[in-house]
Amino acid sequence: MNNYQLMISVDDKQVVLERILQVTRYRGFLINGMNAKVNTGTKIGTIELMVSSERPIELLVDQINKLIDIKEVKVDHTAMQ
Amino acid sequence: MTTTEKKLTGASLLFNVLEQHGVEHVFGYPGGAIMPIYDALYDSGVEHFLCRHEQGAAFSAVGYARASGKVGVCLATSGPGATNLITGLADALADSIPVVAITGQVATAAMGSDAFQEIDIFGLSLACTKHSFQVTNIDDLADVLHQAFAIALEGRQGPVLVDIPKDIQIAAVNGSVDDLVNLQNKVKLPPANVGNALALLNQAKKPILYVGGGVGMANAIDELRDFAKITGLPCVSTLKGLGAIDPEDKYYMGMLGMHGTKASNLAVQECDLLIAVGARFDDRVTGKLNEFAPNAKVIHFDIDTAEINKRRVADASILGDLKVNLPALAIPLSIEPWKAFCLQMNADYAWDYNHPGETIFAPAVLKEISDKMPKNSCVTTDVGQHQMWAAQHMVFDDPSNFLTSAGMGTMGFGIPAAVGAQVSRPTNCIIAISGDGSFMMNVQELSTIKRFQLPVKIVLIDNAKLGMVRQWQDLFFNGRLSETDLADNPDFIMLANAFDIKAQMITKKSEVSAAIEEMLEHDGPYLLQVKIDAQDNVWPLVPPNTANDKMMEST
Ligand SMILES: Cc1ncc(C[n+]2csc(CCOP(=O)(O)OP(=O)(O)O)c2C)c(N)n1
Ligand SMILES: [Mg+2]
Repeated sequence: MNNYQLMISVDDKQVVLERILQVTRYRGFLINGMNAKVNTGTKIGTIELMVSSERPIELLVDQINKLIDIKEVKVDHTAMQ
Repeated sequence: MTTTEKKLTGASLLFNVLEQHGVEHVFGYPGGAIMPIYDALYDSGVEHFLCRHEQGAAFSAVGYARASGKVGVCLATSGPGATNLITGLADALADSIPVVAITGQVATAAMGSDAFQEIDIFGLSLACTKHSFQVTNIDDLADVLHQAFAIALEGRQGPVLVDIPKDIQIAAVNGSVDDLVNLQNKVKLPPANVGNALALLNQAKKPILYVGGGVGMANAIDELRDFAKITGLPCVSTLKGLGAIDPEDKYYMGMLGMHGTKASNLAVQECDLLIAVGARFDDRVTGKLNEFAPNAKVIHFDIDTAEINKRRVADASILGDLKVNLPALAIPLSIEPWKAFCLQMNADYAWDYNHPGETIFAPAVLKEISDKMPKNSCVTTDVGQHQMWAAQHMVFDDPSNFLTSAGMGTMGFGIPAAVGAQVSRPTNCIIAISGDGSFMMNVQELSTIKRFQLPVKIVLIDNAKLGMVRQWQDLFFNGRLSETDLADNPDFIMLANAFDIKAQMITKKSEVSAAIEEMLEHDGPYLLQVKIDAQDNVWPLVPPNTANDKMMEST
């Protein structure tokens, strides 16, 4: 199992968090932890996702990026063990 | 800018927006939570086709979209109406088909209270749509609907669901309806760097072109054919790609994969460069993945970043619009020995239609229909052996003339898809190739055919079996035939007649030609029931999780 940490920046739209969680599960990644908050002023949400999987993280990054309300997905390499 | 000063309701706004997007036809089924929309339909210029099951409406929208290149639209009520759409949406997602589904929802105040006919279709949509919306404020409705059309069409196409609560449908629209601003494709990809790919192409001795459904979706058929012509590449097609390659191209080797031609599978296994165009290395194409085209480098053209390196690592990837990117790689190649080898395989492994006895041979029937059908005919299929025989033995000159449930493999697709195709192309001949199992899965849509007098031709390949499953039971489950016998099928001729559809059954080879001609010459809808031997198998067959060169063949 590899551990990864993702930083996802989103437009604060309906069910965007649910969409990310659904894609993460479906594409074969376990969620080990999560932090999510919204800046009510800018309407931009930030989601920090700790995941693990046998699969390369690029697969998940590409799929999350396809979601309509996603602004950016970054893999935090410093956080990875 | 205003187009109207009159106070509108959400429901009538819906039809205004549909008309702004050029929607002329919708498929649907009414019910409580969508009644305001059906009331507004009454005054609108949009023509509604009442299907007899919401799954039929969804597949008709899919067939409409695939046959015409326009967005297909379907409507359903809340709860069971909405859940009945799901299979059609999943099918559209798997095959990247632009569909907009509108569902009624209980009023916002009742939402979340387990109200009558309330289901969380918004939640259910997450796994079976490209995107979805639930409108909870009337001021958002117009924008959401515009976005639904834009998202369905942009980048890799797909289905979008818009769930509209009943109070939003009856709410007064504030302000006025804006003119449609030209929607821009939001998917922005950096210009492709083709340098690496050009080098690979120049070095290759045995390159092959692997064409998928993306070519038709990108409207890049001309560009693909030019590319094939200039490079002279031998080419193979996926199920959904059929029709994209010029059928006259002598280096075209047919479909690859599980039921692909021997020539195409052997060529792909042998090649040193695979140029995948709008294709996604689906498991039905690759067979055992790590033994697929084992010596090949890969150039992958796609619009969807997530397809690159998903199942097979690309040595060069070219992201973006095929119309722009294919010409950039169109250079003449000197690969004469390889081309000669491929031509020889085409000759050595050509289909053999010799078949002893009087029993009808389905591949020969389908080939004859293909030869005799008028130009620009559109063929739909259901799922099973008949589908694979149609893919193998019929010839198409455009992907919009062959509509088959490729990614999802959904039985029940053929009849409603033919309804949608016929509505979108009223002057073309629409032929549904169905199986006796699949036919019964959306048989209620014969009523839609009757109601609108659609001259759809149905060819029912009748083996009195769930033939494809029976074939696998025989080959891979020691002949233990479990629940695949359909000997008690209804009388299909009486059934068709009950819907005012002319019908004929044939059982002998000698009857085939006259029956096909009668069907094609008949003005209205027609059902031709073709009895075949229950033991007939689809060949070749690459067994599951096996390399594509280890196909089983007819004995
Ligand atoms: C909705 C659905 N349920 C089950 C299947 C599994 N399945 C694939 S082919 C097949 C048999 C189809 O029988 P028929 O339509 O008679 O076609 P045949 O193979 O006999 O030509 C079945 C059950 C499916 N593809 N779709
Ligand atoms: Mg059958």
